[in-house]
Amino acid sequence: MKMIVVFEKAPRLRLIGHLDLMRAMQRALRRSGLPLRYSQGFNPHILLTFAAPLSVGMPGKREIMEVPLEHDVTPEDFVQKLSSALPPDLPVLSARPVDERHPAPMALLTAAVYEAQLEQVPDNFQQTIDGFLAQKEINVMRKTKSGLKPSDIRPMIYDLRLQGGTLHMALALSEKATCKPDLLLQSLFEFAQTERPRALITRLQLLGEEDGVFKPLESL
Amino acid sequence: MNEQQSILLEQLLEQVQKPAQYIGGEMNSVIKDWDSVRFRFAFCFPDTYEIGMSHLGMKILYHLINSRQDALCERVFMPAADMADRMRQSGLPLFSWETRHLLTEFDIIGFTLQYEMSYTNILEMLDLARIPAYRDQRTDDMPFVVAGGPCAFNPEPLAPFIDAFMIGDGEDVMHELIEVIRDGREAKKEKIDILRDLARLEGVYVPALYQAEYNEDGTLRAFYPVDDAAPKVVKKRVVKDLSAAIYPDTIPVPYTEIVHDRMVLEIMRGCTRGCRFCQAGMLYRPVRERSMDRLLELADKLQQSTGYEEMSLSSLSSGDFSCLPQLIQALMDRYRDKRVGVSLPSMRIDNIVKQSLEETQQVKKSGLTLAPEAGTQRLRDVINKGVTEDDLIRSVTDAFECGWSSVKLYFMMGLPTETDEDLRGIGDLAKKVVDAYYRVPKEMRSKNGVRVTASASVFVPKPFTPFQWAAQDTMETVHEKQASLREYLKLKCVHFNWHESGLSMLEACISRGDRRIGDVIYAAWKRGCRLDGWNEHFKFDQWIEAFHDCGLTPDFYAYRERPYEELLPWQFIDAGVSQEYLKKENEKARQVQTTKDCRHGCNGCGLHTWGVCDWVKHPPLKDSDKMSAPLFD
Repeated sequence: MKMIVVFEKAPRLRLIGHLDLMRAMQRALRRSGLPLRYSQGFNPHILLTFAAPLSVGMPGKREIMEVPLEHDVTPEDFVQKLSSALPPDLPVLSARPVDERHPAPMALLTAAVYEAQLEQVPDNFQQTIDGFLAQKEINVMRKTKSGLKPSDIRPMIYDLRLQGGTLHMALALSEKATCKPDLLLQSLFEFAQTERPRALITRLQLLGEEDGVFKPLESL
Repeated sequence: MNEQQSILLEQLLEQVQKPAQYIGGEMNSVIKDWDSVRFRFAFCFPDTYEIGMSHLGMKILYHLINSRQDALCERVFMPAADMADRMRQSGLPLFSWETRHLLTEFDIIGFTLQYEMSYTNILEMLDLARIPAYRDQRTDDMPFVVAGGPCAFNPEPLAPFIDAFMIGDGEDVMHELIEVIRDGREAKKEKIDILRDLARLEGVYVPALYQAEYNEDGTLRAFYPVDDAAPKVVKKRVVKDLSAAIYPDTIPVPYTEIVHDRMVLEIMRGCTRGCRFCQAGMLYRPVRERSMDRLLELADKLQQSTGYEEMSLSSLSSGDFSCLPQLIQALMDRYRDKRVGVSLPSMRIDNIVKQSLEETQQVKKSGLTLAPEAGTQRLRDVINKGVTEDDLIRSVTDAFECGWSSVKLYFMMGLPTETDEDLRGIGDLAKKVVDAYYRVPKEMRSKNGVRVTASASVFVPKPFTPFQWAAQDTMETVHEKQASLREYLKLKCVHFNWHESGLSMLEACISRGDRRIGDVIYAAWKRGCRLDGWNEHFKFDQWIEAFHDCGLTPDFYAYRERPYEELLPWQFIDAGVSQEYLKKENEKARQVQTTKDCRHGCNGCGLHTWGVCDWVKHPPLKDSDKMSAPLFD
């Protein structure tokens, strides 16, 4: 069986890179005493996949990983064992057993919800956002393997709202199309023609789709 | 740290390289309620996180202090240059990794002294913490600044800055030190009275209570206590029973990569070999082993609490551990299923281990490191490095047969009595190692081809060794010798590394320095020196200027051979090994006479009179026993 696990990467750990996080999680799993599966080969390592790497600097409220297991374990037992092996800033929130044929979370991922806490909100910013979203195309330059290339991110913005000092965003995140929140902020503040304020961006939720409706990835 | 400082820190972290080293919060780091303890200790490592977190002594003492209910211990490391600069510019003081308290909020600030060229980092850290470096400028409400570790055996260069030094094994004296300062502070005693109480502890040196006088030629004329509480001689502390001593069964597991990212099992302390250049070999006497039962118990606990995938065995000469094959076998059996690799000490690849190697792939074949130290048998006899060419070739051949393909050879240049022939010998030895690889049948050896790396460091004479009176080679001579070695090592499959000669010269000045060297270290720091051990930050010219600022010359400290009659700055410390023994050993070196390993029988180094030396009662080896090559991991 495989376990779909939801965990949090707390703000204190936001500057930890993806590889470091993965190593920390592998060591936690080794401490947990759970029946893990190892890769074959010269340097066997724990089988473990993350739905989507988090950028350095970004905390994650509900991150998802898939842990293949040697034999069946109840989700309660899994959560309890893994929790006791994790540091306080990396709590495990839930676990759901799925069978071997269940597609990998990474393959089901289509979008993510973010929030950006802005240090200052420009005047009439809601109007700016409305104007920004009313554009038919939002062309930005993106770094690709073959240099900078123009690309339209408008279809990748599923939601963009201001609530108090916080910007809520739902953006495409999949193997086919991804709009990073940083890129969106850059484009938005260029459109607003104001200097971009400091902002702590947090990934709140990973999403997949069922019958054309977004749902939390861990429930799919 | 107040809220404003916290916000500032978060901002700085976004602007510096490798920010994750500053965040703390690692698994097994100990966070105690600040207000629920009577006593707070900041353990400071005077180098960056990746180095400090690899250090075993810090883990032992962190665990020891935190095991006390009445105390807490938090870690502090030297910020990298970019972080240090930004902290200074923005006014953010140095803080602890666990709870981000400022250093001024602690009762004790303790530095571990592992390397002389990290001393400017101590001044940098105190400055970043807004604590005056000179102890006589600190007020009574400020934390005590203490230090220990191997370099504390010559404490004089840091005497102007440190309130109290711990000499010898830290776990033996730490509780007493903490309690004296705790009780003194709670009773609102004056600092000078607490210092007097400290000086009465065995193994504690309080520099404020001693006076140094100098002759016109700059040598030490007299050194004596000026207070009744201070002993004439400070005797090192020794943990008598290593199995009974506290050892961490859990250690913080870093998020970021550090230099040695694995569990460490200290299997024994001390070394019986008696290499004449080796300070650790003299300071950590006598040899004490941990019992198999205790080691296996610790290994299990460490493995469970850390989840580490690799375990290494630590000691000065692991091959001499009496139960090494049994220990390795037991560890491999235990951890095969848990996929824990065991790093072997590189030598002693005898049949038992060889067999295990073939059975499992639990041992990493990253590289084999051997330390013949000198190129000819004559010079190896001078330094009493009891390894022969045959030992070395046998070791590398065994390793090549097990699939190793890269070998590192460590040498020193500038050893007493060294000639050009000895330097040529380094080239010859490297060539013979390459030849040994090609003599191994093709189907047994690695397909990667052989790679030999020869590193030659510059010999630095150290206190409490038989060579403590010796002159170091001048930098000019070192450069000539390096040029010769480059020629001799122009060989196929051989790569040559050499060291910064200026750094070794300054290390020699500080390691045998007197009290006046403190001012030089301060002047160098004022001139911008810090992180001297890091090539990109080392400012040799500024150090030389710093000597001039203080009216001193490096030549006096590094290049001068001391007569036996001269009073040495560290002579008031009793490290167990007597000055007479060191003289005798130095004389034997000049006559190219070796001294046997003391497990064959006591050599009378001095420690036998302390009653801590098991070997005296039960010599475990007979003269006829064949010793394996003492080459280190």
